[in-house]
Amino acid sequence: MDTVLSTMFYFWISLFIAYLLVQRGLWIFSDVAKGTVSFMLEKAIGPGADLVEGRTGSGARSWIMQGTLWLILGSMFTFMSMWLSHDPDALHSLASWGYSANTHELYSAGVYATLYGSVSMLVIGSGLHIIPKLAGTELASETNANLVSFIWTISVLIMVVGSQNNMILGLEIIPVGIVLNTAALIAVIMNQLLTLANRTRNMALPGWLILIALLSNPILSIVSIASGAINDNIGQWLSYHIFGGTFFFLGVSGVALYASSISSGNPLWSKTLVGATLFGGIFTINPFGDIDGQMVIDLFGPLANNNVIAFSNEDMLSASFLMALASVPILAFSSNMLVTLRGSDMFIDDPNASGNAELNLGSWLIIPIAIGSLFVQTDAVSGTNELVGISNSLSMMSGWLVLVPLSLGAALSLYPELVGRHLFSQSRSRWGFLMMTGGAIFGLSITMIADFMDLALAELLVEDPSALSEELRKVGSVMFYGVVIGSIFHSLNMVSGMFRGNLISKESVTSSSISVESYNLVSPTTVRRILASGADLDTEIIPTGENDEKGSATKL
Amino acid sequence: MSINTTDSVDGFLQGEKEPPGSWVFIALGVVISLSFLLLYSILYPGQDLPVISDLVPVFSGVFDSGIWFFILGTMIGIFAILGRLLLEATSE
Repeated sequence: MDTVLSTMFYFWISLFIAYLLVQRGLWIFSDVAKGTVSFMLEKAIGPGADLVEGRTGSGARSWIMQGTLWLILGSMFTFMSMWLSHDPDALHSLASWGYSANTHELYSAGVYATLYGSVSMLVIGSGLHIIPKLAGTELASETNANLVSFIWTISVLIMVVGSQNNMILGLEIIPVGIVLNTAALIAVIMNQLLTLANRTRNMALPGWLILIALLSNPILSIVSIASGAINDNIGQWLSYHIFGGTFFFLGVSGVALYASSISSGNPLWSKTLVGATLFGGIFTINPFGDIDGQMVIDLFGPLANNNVIAFSNEDMLSASFLMALASVPILAFSSNMLVTLRGSDMFIDDPNASGNAELNLGSWLIIPIAIGSLFVQTDAVSGTNELVGISNSLSMMSGWLVLVPLSLGAALSLYPELVGRHLFSQSRSRWGFLMMTGGAIFGLSITMIADFMDLALAELLVEDPSALSEELRKVGSVMFYGVVIGSIFHSLNMVSGMFRGNLISKESVTSSSISVESYNLVSPTTVRRILASGADLDTEIIPTGENDEKGSATKL
Repeated sequence: MSINTTDSVDGFLQGEKEPPGSWVFIALGVVISLSFLLLYSILYPGQDLPVISDLVPVFSGVFDSGIWFFILGTMIGIFAILGRLLLEATSE
């Protein structure tokens, strides 16, 4: 059996066994396991537990706030890497402090800060709120969740430092970061499993998406090491993409689907599509991200080898086929999100739905970016390598225009319930969205145009770099700075909202200059939500009967 | 007049809330100062600015790329968030 199918087969079997254990429990050992895990989460951490608060929701809040702050650093590193791609000596003065900045290292720092720092923390934080809600219980240990968020932040900090200088005192730093990171993740998984063990009702599917995403991370690490996948470039590429498809795609999908229903007031449109997203995410290869598995080599450090072998025909066929199949879960997720969000506030007027615009953006853009990524990955897997030049820009697009908007949108939607207050300012929220979206779309698109120009020149064997391409990269990086400003706006808004936001018990004043002529009422909703969508006293309310269809509604 | 919005000491009154219009005058002041700096080089061509011309060479080779303006902007943003956290934590 080839590398791709054999590794995926081991992964599927391991995940299935983990799922069975979660569903069936550990037979007569269940009670012992519950007691032991409970002890480890609370008592075993000793005086560490006194450092943080254990109030309801404090764990999720802590993860989400830190995730938002990481957004600033992630966008800043990415901006600097884009700037240094056209002006490599811009930060040469820092050499006097012993720091030589270059575009590749800053790009890596941006990836670690954005994916591990921001997206992961927002997904895990939202999950700490969502799973207990869907399971009808409380989180097993708020104290542990709160404390572990800081360990996770330290681990990301180590990875970011390691991306600039991986060898410190003869020790590879990034693997140290990932060990700490895995320890924190296992604590989160234990916490969530114990929460699930105390469930009072069957958990809805978005909860399973989040749980499978969490479980997939350590399982994939074990499978990759045990199967030897991390020893050659094919296995490394595969591990990278399975990780992206399960931990990131399923995690982000879970929190975004839950948030779409919460913030729009509509029931989740289709359970079947959530199921398709879940199974598709596990059984296919997600095409988002880099075209190589360099990140896996960095993360596994001494455990990984740097063997480079060409894709065999079987590997090429199975990888291309499984990547093409990824369009099923992506389309299922996107359509489910967009229909669920229908008729809701998209202009960030409703303080209960501040994340709707981000959720909507991510749901739209996931399709074109997935199609583009599929072309680039297939090109790389087949060894054609004609589109390698645009892979970085496309990878950044999948981060900043899909993963970040969806995870941030979900966190913003859950914010009022977690904090007990609304965001400080709807106007700042709107500006944050516009700056982030505009900066990412225009900045990365212009950079991609420059990539295409360089590709065309390389094809024509022109040796001198194009001045126009450099100018475009300059414009692209300056425009991307909008993402940094947007991140600062969002972070400031969330921090200020914790102290000065309107209490959610009080009626929030909203105003909109946008009016609509008709409003499709697909489910019971409040007058406030209708007014927040832009309706006024002359708007015609049109009831529609979609709820009569079998299996169309999922109550969360 | 409310006791929550003003300080009163022996007839002297000072508002606690900052009127939004005051920032306009500060911005106007900065713009006018920059205009005078430009005017100086027009009126006295070839002559260095007092004090400033001695300070600028200290930073030559350090902040000699446009990226530093953007980094400065981000640092202001980060310090605004930290400042907000500290102020809110100590306000009570």
